Amino acid sequence: MTRIACFVEKYNFQHSREAEALHLFKLSAEQMGHRFDFIFKSDFSEIPSYDAVFIRATTDPLYTSYLVSKTAWELGLRVVDDPNSIRICANKIHQYELFGKHNIPHIPTLVISRDEIHRKQIQEVFDLFGRPVVLKAPYTSFSKYVEKVACETSFRHFAKRFSRRSDMLVVQKFVPTRFDWRVGVLNDEILYVCKYMMPNGGWKHGVKRKGKNSFRWGRTVALKKKNAPSKLKETALNACSVIGHGLYGVDIKEVDGEFIVVEVNDNPSIYRGYEDLWDRDIYEKIIRYLAA
Amino acid sequence: MFCVLVVSNIDLKADTPTAKPSTFLKSPIRDDVINVNNDYRYMKLGYYVSLHAEILGDRVIPSTKDCIDAYRTPILLLRASRGGVPTIPYLITDSPKHILKEFELPVIVFPLSPFTFNRLTVVKSKSTLYKAVRNLSSNHRYTVCAQPFYGELISCKSFFGRCYHNNRDVKDTARRVYEISKIPLCKLLIQRSKHRIYLCGLQPLNLDEITLSDMVKISRVLSCGEGLFD
Repeated sequence: MTRIACFVEKYNFQHSREAEALHLFKLSAEQMGHRFDFIFKSDFSEIPSYDAVFIRATTDPLYTSYLVSKTAWELGLRVVDDPNSIRICANKIHQYELFGKHNIPHIPTLVISRDEIHRKQIQEVFDLFGRPVVLKAPYTSFSKYVEKVACETSFRHFAKRFSRRSDMLVVQKFVPTRFDWRVGVLNDEILYVCKYMMPNGGWKHGVKRKGKNSFRWGRTVALKKKNAPSKLKETALNACSVIGHGLYGVDIKEVDGEFIVVEVNDNPSIYRGYEDLWDRDIYEKIIRYLAA
Repeated sequence: MFCVLVVSNIDLKADTPTAKPSTFLKSPIRDDVINVNNDYRYMKLGYYVSLHAEILGDRVIPSTKDCIDAYRTPILLLRASRGGVPTIPYLITDSPKHILKEFELPVIVFPLSPFTFNRLTVVKSKSTLYKAVRNLSSNHRYTVCAQPFYGELISCKSFFGRCYHNNRDVKDTARRVYEISKIPLCKLLIQRSKHRIYLCGLQPLNLDEITLSDMVKISRVLSCGEGLFD
């Protein structure tokens, strides 16, 4: 029997489909003869009493989830997401530099320093990528801190906002598509394949509602793995191979039959009826990986 | 001859080749790199210098992993205690009640929120504990790291593990912390109680805390810096 701690925060239970998926993880683990406990930030000191830690709370090297992951890792526990994956996936600059080094096809990207944001540099960016461009904070997640900018004023506005936490920012060519592929990968194996559709009038999967703090999300359309293009699956596995062997959700755009990586996410969303629609075994596979 | 590239945002007079971070970040230089910066916090310029060197395949001090782990107090204390450096028990929580249950006052509280920089509070009363935890945890959104406060809190600058404090145990702690964390420039927080020394935390330096005499000391370490990559 493996004792598995699942690190969550209250918000993980707010969306009913996510809460249901978490309970499916617990059910699968218990059916397989393991113990599966949800632990919160106040249970930090309990980590040494477990054999494995599964992190479902949002990851970032500056959040408690990283402390959980790193502590478990240092104690020799099996961890998903491991600290190395969090370090790379949470910082898109790190990720794009690795993609460049290992020739992983990705969206044309430029890294700029906060000190370089002046008229001439902004003009050069527009000359290179055309208008609009996508400005990203390196710590972007769940469609937050990513904006489409078409003029110097909005470029400066969002660059100033994003550079509060990071001295460097990411600028990318705007590549509009109706959906992004989302490929779930665990330990170099494809777990599931979906399409993350853009909501009406949106250019990314989640669009902030005007004047509100909430987001409007596009539909999630799951596919059978065998029906997904093999080149898509190959691209996803190649992208993950430069990061690690954990659990990832790879976002990929399809442009003129070519597959280009948008980003690799650690801690990918798993909602009941969405990602698991055709692949009900993903819970069992992840638990088996944790218990290995 | 010891030969590495020193990348620094400080005006050093070392005999080794030196580059500014902005120049290095645009270069494809393949060399051993010593990143000398007052601040290696995640996503700050010092961090990106180490990241750039790692992507190029250079050996670099400090690594990005060390940059992140050194400033995260619980990770630093865990690694330090496993490396034989005396540390104090700590608690990670967002609840003052939890702290009161585990420790007697006074306690020292470190923030673990991504939005705080070089802050800590020594709390002597129950009411200030509630206020401190609320402030340092961004209204209980993040956790704090609490440790019992035994006595005197010593803050000392450490340059490549060399600390110019007059206490031998403090010097020894600085050297051992550097061996574990590999952070070239930092401020160490140490508690002294009944002639014993305990590591409490590690923080970045402000640029104005590095004096001219500090620059000479750092330059001297770099000029005779053989063995830094051992």
